Amino acid sequence: MTSLRQRLGGVATFVSSTAVTLLGLAMLTFFIGRVVPIDPVLKIVGDKASQEVYDRVFLELGLDKPLVVQFWNYVTSLLRGDFGISFSTARPVWTDLLDFFPATLELATIGVLIGIVLGVPMGVAAAYWREKWPDHVLRVVGLVGYSVPIFWLGLVALFVFYYKLNWVSGPGRVDVFFQGVVPNVTGAILIDSLLAGDMQVFRNAVSHMTLPALLLGYYSLAYISRMTRSVMLEQLGQEYILTARLKGASEFSVVMNHALRNAGIQLITVIALSYGGLLEGSVLIETIFSWPGIGNYIFSSLLAGDMNAVLGGTILVGTVFVLLNTFSDVLYRVLDPRSRGFGA
Amino acid sequence: MSFLKALAVSALALTAAVPALAETPSNTLVIADAIDDIITLDPGEVGEVAGVLVSQQIYQPLVNFNPEDPSDIVGVLAESWTVSEDGRTLTFTMNPNAVFASGNPVTAYDAEYSLRRVVQMGSRTAFIITQFGIDTDNVEEAIRATDANTLVITAGDTYAPSFLLYCLSSYAAGIVDSKLVQEHEVDGDFGNAWLKQDNSAGSGPYVLTRWDPKQSILLTRNDNYWGEAPGVERLFIQQMPESATQRLALERGDIDIANKLGPDDFDAIENNEDIAILEGRSATIYYMGLNVRNENLAHPEVVEALKYLVDYEGIADNIGRGTLAVHQTLVPDGFLGALDYTPYSLDVERARQLLDEAGVGPFTLDTVVWNVPPYTDFAQAIQATMAEAGVTLNLEVVDGGQWLDRYRNHTLDVWMGLWGPDYPDPHSNAKAFSVNRQDAPDGSDSLADRFGWDAGPLSPLAMEAVREQDTDTRRQMYEDIQRVHTDTSPFLYMFQEVRRVATRADVQGLVLGLTFSDDRYGGVTKD
Repeated sequence: MTSLRQRLGGVATFVSSTAVTLLGLAMLTFFIGRVVPIDPVLKIVGDKASQEVYDRVFLELGLDKPLVVQFWNYVTSLLRGDFGISFSTARPVWTDLLDFFPATLELATIGVLIGIVLGVPMGVAAAYWREKWPDHVLRVVGLVGYSVPIFWLGLVALFVFYYKLNWVSGPGRVDVFFQGVVPNVTGAILIDSLLAGDMQVFRNAVSHMTLPALLLGYYSLAYISRMTRSVMLEQLGQEYILTARLKGASEFSVVMNHALRNAGIQLITVIALSYGGLLEGSVLIETIFSWPGIGNYIFSSLLAGDMNAVLGGTILVGTVFVLLNTFSDVLYRVLDPRSRGFGA
Repeated sequence: MSFLKALAVSALALTAAVPALAETPSNTLVIADAIDDIITLDPGEVGEVAGVLVSQQIYQPLVNFNPEDPSDIVGVLAESWTVSEDGRTLTFTMNPNAVFASGNPVTAYDAEYSLRRVVQMGSRTAFIITQFGIDTDNVEEAIRATDANTLVITAGDTYAPSFLLYCLSSYAAGIVDSKLVQEHEVDGDFGNAWLKQDNSAGSGPYVLTRWDPKQSILLTRNDNYWGEAPGVERLFIQQMPESATQRLALERGDIDIANKLGPDDFDAIENNEDIAILEGRSATIYYMGLNVRNENLAHPEVVEALKYLVDYEGIADNIGRGTLAVHQTLVPDGFLGALDYTPYSLDVERARQLLDEAGVGPFTLDTVVWNVPPYTDFAQAIQATMAEAGVTLNLEVVDGGQWLDRYRNHTLDVWMGLWGPDYPDPHSNAKAFSVNRQDAPDGSDSLADRFGWDAGPLSPLAMEAVREQDTDTRRQMYEDIQRVHTDTSPFLYMFQEVRRVATRADVQGLVLGLTFSDDRYGGVTKD
């Protein structure tokens, strides 16, 4: 009984803290959106329309009402599940989000997987051979990934692998030839093409996705490998490692079974944050690769002063962050017995 | 487990990569452009550059002009027209062959509905029609079909017939299939919700198949097209905002037309034999507006001095690199009354003299600059030459939205901007730059008003010119207006844009328009 009550209490705490976080996020975005010097009316009517047209659109957008009333109206319709209409696409914001987010989700997921698969071993190696040549080499690789502007890397990669070598396809998600060939089920083209059993589209989509995914992967591997290194160094300096070695465990077992297992718990947070960062969408990568993702959606909506779209996108990204955070908390508890506390 | 899965997926991503097809489908023309600003495709309100480009392929006007010779006005949906003796009434006879994509014949009732619709919706482009003294109160009198073949338009005053005709050739005056649109009217919205995004109801060579906002637009050949059938089955317009990306995709053959290439990328493809570069006139003019409310700019000598402090040739050669031509009058080259008159060049000595005559010491001017090329480059070049004569130009680099906002509020000393006429008649520019509020039939603020300038006799003269019935006299009037305007106005005209579009060499028949985004794709073929 106690346990059930505790769990319910936990859920209630989670729901209310999530709600407060999202409300705060919406409020911040809303008021920042209203004070930035971008006039949405001007974006709609252009600079040549008459004052009457301008005034009419101003009223239509409800901009004459006090800010607090505008915000209240927004939040109440949000609670009814209505994200409003985006004037720059003339569609409900929710429809737009369902359209743009899967493209980012797909790219970010593959990107972060690349980051984990390559970044964690790199970090472990760097920590194990600390201040020896592997560490130096990996540090340079990591620093380049983290500090070279990603748009520059993107353009160079396009030039070399798409234009010169023709190993991969260029901008966009699939060739024009394959546009709209497979039905849109999940919005993720790799999954949709597999569902439709169309391997041609699948291969083409993979070919288009390779460069942007590798670049995002490189970017996140740079972060993940540096963090893995420092977490591993901390673990390798602990007494239990010395104990394990004294007990005669092999070096491989010491590093992989003892140190990495403990470091892994901390890495969950690092990886979750990295994934969350990629899920915001990378405006630069999306622009260079003509990728219809959420980053570009929010960015171009912001420039157009299309605040419904910006708010909807921000709330979506915020929710994703909260969910990732929660997920990594749960994983933490599962993997680390200490954090479960007593009586759980 | 998740590591294994991850490994499998990334290995797949690496090995399954196959070479690109590197060729667009032969029945589809792929056009790369920046389309993320389009908010509507309804011809009654469309306004963004790429939006107009799309709507021009779908909808047709009553009349149009020949882009090679804009003084040549030809009938499209109207077969012929007559002008009443007082010049106020135009009577159009419809082309009996014209049909809509739906198969419905194009009648005068459709034209009546479409033109009234623009006025009644009160859209942002309604001014193109309402400037003839036509408003919601009198529109049913002013625009009416007397039978299925005859449309009568009566302006509120006498205007040059060519002026009305040019306005009717504008994108705002595209004719919609009234039967179809009326079926989809909801709450008196004139079918706007239906036409805005998902549907089209025109008579042009293409129909709208699909618009994914901020992603792509697909147009398909209109099988009922009453003119010569278009050469390619589909036009696919892809969002590809980055110039360098467009260039690579064009060189690889993944796109057929690159609409947003910058000067650097044109340089890079100049010698590629697979690529052709089309050049056309664009009516867009780059200018600086000087706010004469500023105490220093109130001196005519100071205004004139600033005109000598711009390195026109240098900027055109080094920054424009083939995309700018020096132009110093208000009517763009190619329009009725255009004039080859370029009295100003960089002359710091002359400018210093003029500033001395005005008796002003070194002073500072504030300006906002749109944070994209070529504005940022212009601004820096001009800042440098002005400094030579002791004029400090304060640059505030801002986003496009703020840039427009500041200009509307006319609180700036200097505004660096562009002007693209909405229809190829000199009045579009003459009204903007030289007609003051009190002379404008609709009483609206012009650019002259925004910059605090009283155009004096030029203002009524410009309104006289637009009412002049004789074309040769009208041309002469604009020539006279321009000389005085260039010499005395606080508008510092610098350049006219040269349109450049890069295509694959096998793309033939693209005709570049005269005003922005009036390019005509109907006759394009690929072999």
